[in-house]
Amino acid sequence: MNTLAAPLEHDNTQNDPTRRPVLVTGPCDLASITETVSRIVEQPAPRAWYLALMVCGLGTLVFFGLVAYLISTGIGVWGNNSPVFWAFDIVNFVFWIGIGHAGTLISAILFLFRQKWRTSINRAAEAMTLFAVICAGLFPAIHVGRIWVIYWLAPYPNQMAIWPNFRSPLLWDVFAVSTYGTVSAMFWYLGMIPDLATLRDRATTPLRQAVYGALALGWRGSARQWHRYERAYLLLAALATPLVLSVHSVVSFDFATSVIPGWHTTIFPPYFVAGAIFSGFAMVVTLMVPARAFFGLKDLVTPRHLENMCKIILATGCMVGYAYGVEFFTAWYSGNGYERFAFANRALGPYAWAYWLMLGCNVLAPQLYWFKRWRTSPWRMVLVAVLVNVGMWFERFVIIVTSLSRDFLPSSWGFFKPTWVDLGMLAGSFALFLTLFLLFCRYLPMVAMAEVKAAIDGAGHGRVGSPSARAPVPREVQATP
Amino acid sequence: MNNHEPTPNTPLPGVRVAGLLAEFDGPEPLRLAAERVRDLGYVHWDVYSPYPVHGIERAMGIRPTVLPWLVLLFGVAGCAAAILMQWWMNARDYPVLVSGKPLWSLPANIPIAFELVILFAAAAAFIGVLGLNRLPQFWHPVFSSPRFRRATTDGFFLGIEAQDPRFHETSTRELLESLGATTVETCFAPATRPGLPAWVRWAGVIGVLVALVPPLWIARARAIRADRPRVHPIQDMDFQPRYVAQGPGPLFADGRAMRPPVPGTIPRSQPPADSLLETGLDNGKPITHFPLPVSQALMVRGKERYEIYCAVCHGLAGDGRGPVAIRALERAEPGWVAPRSLHVDAVRQQPVGQLFQTITRGLNTMPSYAAQLTPEDRWAVVLYIRALQRSQNARLDDIPRDKRALLER
Amino acid sequence: MQPNAVADLPQDQITLGEPLAQRAGMLWTAGALALSAAAVFGWLHADGMQWFLHSWLLNVTFYVSLSLGALWLVPILHLTRAGWAVAVRRLAEVMGANFGVLAILFVPVLLGIDTLYEWADPLAVQNDPLLSHKAPYLNVPFFVLRAILYLAVWWCLGRYLLVRSTEQDSSGDPNVTLRLERASAPALVILALTATFAAFDWIMALEARWYSTIFGVYYFSGAMVGVLAVLPLAALGLQQAGRLRGAITVEHYHDLGKLLFAFVVFWGYIAFSQFLLIWYGNIPEETQWYRRRLSDGWESLALVLLAGHLVIPFFGLLSRRAKRRAGILAFWSAWLLAMHWLDLYWLVMPAVEQPVSVLGAMIDVLLAVGMAALYLAAAARIAATRCLVPRRDPRLVESLVFENT
Repeated sequence: MNTLAAPLEHDNTQNDPTRRPVLVTGPCDLASITETVSRIVEQPAPRAWYLALMVCGLGTLVFFGLVAYLISTGIGVWGNNSPVFWAFDIVNFVFWIGIGHAGTLISAILFLFRQKWRTSINRAAEAMTLFAVICAGLFPAIHVGRIWVIYWLAPYPNQMAIWPNFRSPLLWDVFAVSTYGTVSAMFWYLGMIPDLATLRDRATTPLRQAVYGALALGWRGSARQWHRYERAYLLLAALATPLVLSVHSVVSFDFATSVIPGWHTTIFPPYFVAGAIFSGFAMVVTLMVPARAFFGLKDLVTPRHLENMCKIILATGCMVGYAYGVEFFTAWYSGNGYERFAFANRALGPYAWAYWLMLGCNVLAPQLYWFKRWRTSPWRMVLVAVLVNVGMWFERFVIIVTSLSRDFLPSSWGFFKPTWVDLGMLAGSFALFLTLFLLFCRYLPMVAMAEVKAAIDGAGHGRVGSPSARAPVPREVQATP
Repeated sequence: MNNHEPTPNTPLPGVRVAGLLAEFDGPEPLRLAAERVRDLGYVHWDVYSPYPVHGIERAMGIRPTVLPWLVLLFGVAGCAAAILMQWWMNARDYPVLVSGKPLWSLPANIPIAFELVILFAAAAAFIGVLGLNRLPQFWHPVFSSPRFRRATTDGFFLGIEAQDPRFHETSTRELLESLGATTVETCFAPATRPGLPAWVRWAGVIGVLVALVPPLWIARARAIRADRPRVHPIQDMDFQPRYVAQGPGPLFADGRAMRPPVPGTIPRSQPPADSLLETGLDNGKPITHFPLPVSQALMVRGKERYEIYCAVCHGLAGDGRGPVAIRALERAEPGWVAPRSLHVDAVRQQPVGQLFQTITRGLNTMPSYAAQLTPEDRWAVVLYIRALQRSQNARLDDIPRDKRALLER
Repeated sequence: MQPNAVADLPQDQITLGEPLAQRAGMLWTAGALALSAAAVFGWLHADGMQWFLHSWLLNVTFYVSLSLGALWLVPILHLTRAGWAVAVRRLAEVMGANFGVLAILFVPVLLGIDTLYEWADPLAVQNDPLLSHKAPYLNVPFFVLRAILYLAVWWCLGRYLLVRSTEQDSSGDPNVTLRLERASAPALVILALTATFAAFDWIMALEARWYSTIFGVYYFSGAMVGVLAVLPLAALGLQQAGRLRGAITVEHYHDLGKLLFAFVVFWGYIAFSQFLLIWYGNIPEETQWYRRRLSDGWESLALVLLAGHLVIPFFGLLSRRAKRRAGILAFWSAWLLAMHWLDLYWLVMPAVEQPVSVLGAMIDVLLAVGMAALYLAAAARIAATRCLVPRRDPRLVESLVFENT
């Protein structure tokens, strides 16, 4: 493959090793970046946004209606039975927590790796994380049955003189997910403060000025404040990185600490984390491709950004495939009849259709990303991303339901069928997620303007075009014949 | 664009000059200007930009913040708190044994400890950065400049405050212009710090008063007695779809859920028909005559019943050395009154009615045996007791002649 | 051909040079002597060379892990188009190409299969249903074939990455970078599979009745700690010898230190995951492996690993200052290299079911030192004919000027 002479300004996915591609295509001075992002919030929303919000809002109401029905009537409205005690409720929980991981990875881990391209997508991805955690957290809350005494899970002095059982992975989950939600929220909000100040300073109505002003806490961009801000950002990124690894590992402990074949295997923690990043990035791609087209962000969320995300999807997809392979090999190698049966049952048993769908979506579909065309064409990549999300939902379904429906004792085997409430809640959780995301797009700064500006400052694209002294200046090269 | 005209902001009465604000073209001129200002020894000054300018900390001589140490401290505290909490709650205060794992299972405590480290450290970072930056601070003299709005978009500013010892309105202005500022303007602040607006103070007072209501209400509720049961919003299983005793029901023709008692049922509190047999009392005094015909069958029944119910304490021979009594003495049970031997004179002289009453009502540590023994059975036991008493105080003449030979062997 | 804009690095800075290469030549003899001495001690140990062979396996897998780690690192750097790492990449490429000597060192393991692995004995397999079940995989011919396959694949991969990169030193062709990038992804896939099964075969199969799906990842995490510990030491060593003075800066040490820190934490995470899940399930089939390693004195080594491989280096490498001072970083690198060796020790040696004796310890140390000498000698031989820095890599300039904030 030869170095192309195509100007990088229009298609920054071309790979010329002698220079770094631009991160912002089109006009990339500070004022236009500010304008591109702020006008989404400042101008009246397009009609399609209202339509989308109505549809999703309706779905959200249906979701909460179903939740009320569940709480008032009981868990029996779901399809859960003996032995399949966990079904859609926990599948949805794990699914949504997994989705949330991409945002933290983009915000924190890519920050630690000095990947400047993250600045265009990290705000939306972090918002997505927070909303995914909200959707996720609802399911364990409602699946307990008596949600009105759920506070018993917290270690507070009580008249029963009893404390929660800290040895249980379910309680580790409570701490992990709440820590994750809290830290994500803090990180997201801290990152937004300078951008909220921008919106405050551009505000044309007193209401906007008051609201954004209150949220911006009086930020004025002082260098002394920036210094502490940057340290705090680095510290939060350094803390969020192990956090994101630990959260989905703790979720995997819910299963792996048991003794059930198909669940009790040591590779679960890193496998779940890789799968979470896999599905999370697929969701980011699914959201950002339409969002960038719809909100006019094509110059900030460039084809290169999308391509990088596709590559990460491919890499984590390979890790998930690796885990499938190792588990399969070890099931044979272990000589444990129950393990062998568990895997044979997945491929050939009553849920075989789910298993093969999962393999097709998780292992086969992302292989398309080896091909440049599938990594750079927005709608092709969304197709693969949607398949990945479907596949990852089914992966959790296969893991949870097949292992529960057929474990050690054949006389205890049972079959699970979802009820309309199960399916309604799954759809409703998507509606809730999208509602929150739509509201975010409309009322909060979708792109981290301050971070984008800092990222391009290094490339010398300041307001007057004066290059910063320290950044590596791209050199002009003559390509070798 | 250098602006040499006098600033459009002229001071109003009650307003003081707070400092000078200079605008620059871009990050590089700003950085160079900052170096100069630092070198000249200014202390109360700052640089404002829409993003952190690379190298500005060095240019300004900003010292590294203490925030990382704060985060480390709270992280370690989080770890200690988590381990201590889990140890104390699960291994010490209310030890819970779950699936054979040690009461203090350190491996199982690691995940929560890890999460709390992150939570405490992140909270320290977040609150620390806001606190150290003194945010929220909704007003600052630089906001008095309308130009300053660009600081968050694409403007680069340098501001020197009037409280700096080296500040002088004209010379500092000249300095800034010489450093390449495109505009220099004066910032103003109110001469006296405005206090909190009256409505905020009233809102605070009212808020505090309102916040006191719940704890006072709770204190009152705990101090007084109530004649009605407490509010019970979660009904749980209080109202169950079942039929209750004495209530209506559709199953039977008479509409009652419960069937009436069979004819001849008497309440437990009602006195028995034949009070002599049932109580062993005649006008309140224990009877002395045995009310039932004495037969071998009654004696055998009495022996059987005695050995089932009475021998455990009173012993097979009635001497008060049953296994329970012996054990109770070994254990020195508090509140235990040893059963008297049935052969002491005091008991031998008791009328049969009194013996019957003792069995029926219990005495000291001995409970009532009315539930275990029907009145007839109780009389049988009394009969057997008399036989036992006779046996321990027998004379040689009481033994039948043909059995006496056994004694000599 | 037009040259790319190159960094101004003087020639004597970026080549090994004669005197160093000659001194490295002495390491061959030193290494061979140490290994022979260890063999003598092994014979003196009077256990049918059991301790010796296990110790040999431990040390071989240790040095293999270092080169495997390098083989991981280089494609990842190519794939992510890393700019910072170009100045240190050649050192890792040399390590990754070092499989020639490792393949030769592996031969005694193959010769000693009967002593090392229980399933190599047909009688034992016959009598044990579990071993019989695994026999299609755990049998001597297939094992040997797989070992040859792994080493061949790694040797080829290491050579490919080094030779292509060295090509660019003379040609300056930026397409080389693109080709290496394209080859990196399939290379990583192949590496993942071969490394996983090598760990299964060589270490996990020592106790054939046990299994753990995360074992390949565990070996990988240790290997990354190993390579990231060697690189600062190698860089510092070369700089002390007057090479690479202008090429490797404090920023490189800082970044290597950050990665080392990250992988120390990652190792801890993987090790803890494996332990916690097996401890929690408490199934004898799985806990047997840990029981052996947490009794008869081995528990002390486990505690040493917990403290020394995770907790202490965590705090040691936490501060920015520690990572930016080459001396401090070198200390922690050496420490972690020793800890990685001890980790493999704890994985392998309890399978012998003998306590550590003085003689045994001497064997271990002699083998470690001997193999180190041979490994270094081989690496020096590879490096002697090449530049120590990819001097015409298009991203080299970026690597020399970048700064951490």
